[in-house]
Amino acid sequence: MKKLMIADDSNIVRSKIARALGQHGLHIVGLAANGREALELFKSARPEVVTMDLTMPEMDGIECIRKIRALDPRVRILVVSALSDKATAIQALKEGAQGFLDKPFTEAELSDAIGELLEDSNHG
Amino acid sequence: MLGFDLGKYRTIVISIALFLVLDLGVLVLNFVISSEIDKDAVNINLAGRQRMLSQRMAKTALQVEARAVQSVPFEKEAEELQAAHSTFDSTLNAFIAGGATLSGAGSEIRIDRIDDAKAQAILGEARALWTPFSTQVRALGDKGTATPEAAATLARQAENVNLGLLKLMNDLTTRSEQLSSDKATTLRLVQVGGITLATVNFLIILFHFLRHLRESDRLVERAKRETDNILRTTQEGLFLLDDRFAIGSQHSRALGGIIGTEQLAEQDFLGILRPMVTQKTLDTTREYIELLFKPEIKEKLVGSLNPLSHVEIHQAHGAGETSTRYLQFGFNRVRDESRITHLLVTANDITRRVKLEQELKATEERARGQMGMLVEILQVDPSDMHRFLQAANEGLHHINGQLMDQSGGKTEQKINAIYRITHRLKGDAGALGLSILAEPFHELEEVLSGLRGRSNVSGEDFLPVTVQLKALFEQLETVGSAVNRIGQVRGVVTVEPPRPRVETAETPPRVVGLWQSFAMQIAERQQRKVELIYSGIDLERLAPVLQDSVNGIVTQFLRNSVVHGIESPAERRQRGKPEAGRIAVYVSQRDDGGADLSFRDDGQGLSIAKLRDAAVRAGKLTAEEAATLDQRRIVALIFEPGISTRETADEDAGRGAGLDVVKDMITTLGGTVRIGSTPGEYCHFRVSLPAQPEQLLAA
Repeated sequence: MKKLMIADDSNIVRSKIARALGQHGLHIVGLAANGREALELFKSARPEVVTMDLTMPEMDGIECIRKIRALDPRVRILVVSALSDKATAIQALKEGAQGFLDKPFTEAELSDAIGELLEDSNHG
Repeated sequence: MLGFDLGKYRTIVISIALFLVLDLGVLVLNFVISSEIDKDAVNINLAGRQRMLSQRMAKTALQVEARAVQSVPFEKEAEELQAAHSTFDSTLNAFIAGGATLSGAGSEIRIDRIDDAKAQAILGEARALWTPFSTQVRALGDKGTATPEAAATLARQAENVNLGLLKLMNDLTTRSEQLSSDKATTLRLVQVGGITLATVNFLIILFHFLRHLRESDRLVERAKRETDNILRTTQEGLFLLDDRFAIGSQHSRALGGIIGTEQLAEQDFLGILRPMVTQKTLDTTREYIELLFKPEIKEKLVGSLNPLSHVEIHQAHGAGETSTRYLQFGFNRVRDESRITHLLVTANDITRRVKLEQELKATEERARGQMGMLVEILQVDPSDMHRFLQAANEGLHHINGQLMDQSGGKTEQKINAIYRITHRLKGDAGALGLSILAEPFHELEEVLSGLRGRSNVSGEDFLPVTVQLKALFEQLETVGSAVNRIGQVRGVVTVEPPRPRVETAETPPRVVGLWQSFAMQIAERQQRKVELIYSGIDLERLAPVLQDSVNGIVTQFLRNSVVHGIESPAERRQRGKPEAGRIAVYVSQRDDGGADLSFRDDGQGLSIAKLRDAAVRAGKLTAEEAATLDQRRIVALIFEPGISTRETADEDAGRGAGLDVVKDMITTLGGTVRIGSTPGEYCHFRVSLPAQPEQLLAA
């Protein structure tokens, strides 16, 4: 069972992701409301999968992705953010996230995206 | 087996190996035969020398005889005779059995036995002739003296032997020449054979190659023809893009028309885009394409980031006229083994589609209006909704505070703070499915995006932010009041409410008679039997506005009950109920002058499944939404306009106008309604209406 951390500054989005992915067989090890929290939680819980919002207080998602990747280059990161600025999202992918999911999303979309994200991590 | 697979080169490798073996064989044979011929030449020479030596020995023997007769010593001649004898003897022996002898230059050489029966026969004869003479010569020695008789005998013998040996050595020469000539013939045969085989081998290789070349040419030709046909016919713009952004050498014919430029092959794709898109889009496109070439990025999870999924381009057509077109570019990875070599790019002109979508959206937006908002609100969990509205309200006030704040502080920080709040609220609204709020938040976010990263932002630049903020406050208020109204209706749609206290009825009010006859009429049309029992106050004790309302509400409830609630007499019998449906109405006056109404029938109750179907049929909900909506909210749907569980419409029901009117009446009066129902048993409405302002004024 893979360990999951959810980083999003919205409580509603956090619970939505948690509800959907808890059923998806992921073990939720951290819920972070900003980049700084996410980094702290990452260091202690060492999740293998992270969903990351980009616009967050304290430390934004891109900086957080950069720092997390520096700690563990094998972590799988799904950016879950509203598509107001494609360039920012692309920047996040350049920093080491592997996929992007546009907000708002349905549970099925989230589930598919996580499936795709984890697809070859089992044998890669 | 060889450790590697020769594959299609197998034939050529075998051919070349054969060629080398052949060549080597010819070379070796050539060398062997040539060296044999060389040896034969040496033999021929030596056989000639034997003739010469034989003659010299005969001549020297005659000289020895002459000296011996004159009694003169002949040491010099004897020595010469011995030397000639020795050379002849060793050469003859070498011819017969192989061995050493002296060369013409006086050095020692080794020669092989002459390996030929005829030559050996000649040599045998020569030895027979030579051996007695040789004995005589050896007997003479090199003293230089001999009796005249002995010398004469030697001389006669030498003359005889010389003639024999000359002939035999001549024969040997002829035989050796014959052998040598035979070998030369063999050598020629070997060479001709070798060259012939090599030529044949070469021709086979050539033939094989030409055949393969022709075959692969044919396949290439066919593939090219097919590709050309595809590229000529397809309506899409198609081309390959490499990691240096260069378009491939081929592209579909349609591409030129779509992009509006011919001469695209091998051009820089970004260069072609530059005049069509903004610098930002161009930069994003470059980065997006670079990402797609990175194997660790999930292709399927970045599709939504494609900056060229919707490109608006403006083209001038002289005379100041311009037209707008919309293009769509799609990117798919092309892999060779696991390496990403190219992107397959598809380009489409989606102008027609975009315009249609725009029209459709405008129509939808017009149609959606209030109803859309209500449906959206209905689908949100009330506690989520409450939390969100509170957060949104706080957020907007916070933004407002930031805008009013004149105390200085960095503008950039201010914009970022506002942006973050807006972004979060937009995300929340989206997550809750409230597009009515997500959209205005999105617009505010767009405005802020434009301000972010700008170095000089003046106060005037905040004007659009203020305008949008005001719009948001208004929208939030609209939603808030809708939520309140829905809340009143939805209230607590609960299990059975407590039964009202039964007060002894006063004389039944006049209006009750009307209700009874109204119920009978409907019952007759619907082939039902009903019985209406009233308990409670005389309605005339209520304020006139409430009297009218209660009357209106009860009639709608009656119609609803008889049509949807009360079963047919047969069905009721089966269920062990009396044939006539029983409807109990109770009205009481509240302490504040308002009224409470209880309306209960003992029919089949509300069917959640039927209501779901009805909502889907009316297009209020999608099948998915209907399936996930909770029971309480399904029940609340009976108050929505256009919802009816009846599939066909008649005078009394089926068009869905009925309970929505009741709800409007109640909400207009600021009242609430609760519903309780047990399927198969009963349905109970409890309405509470507060005292009305006119009433208060009148009082």
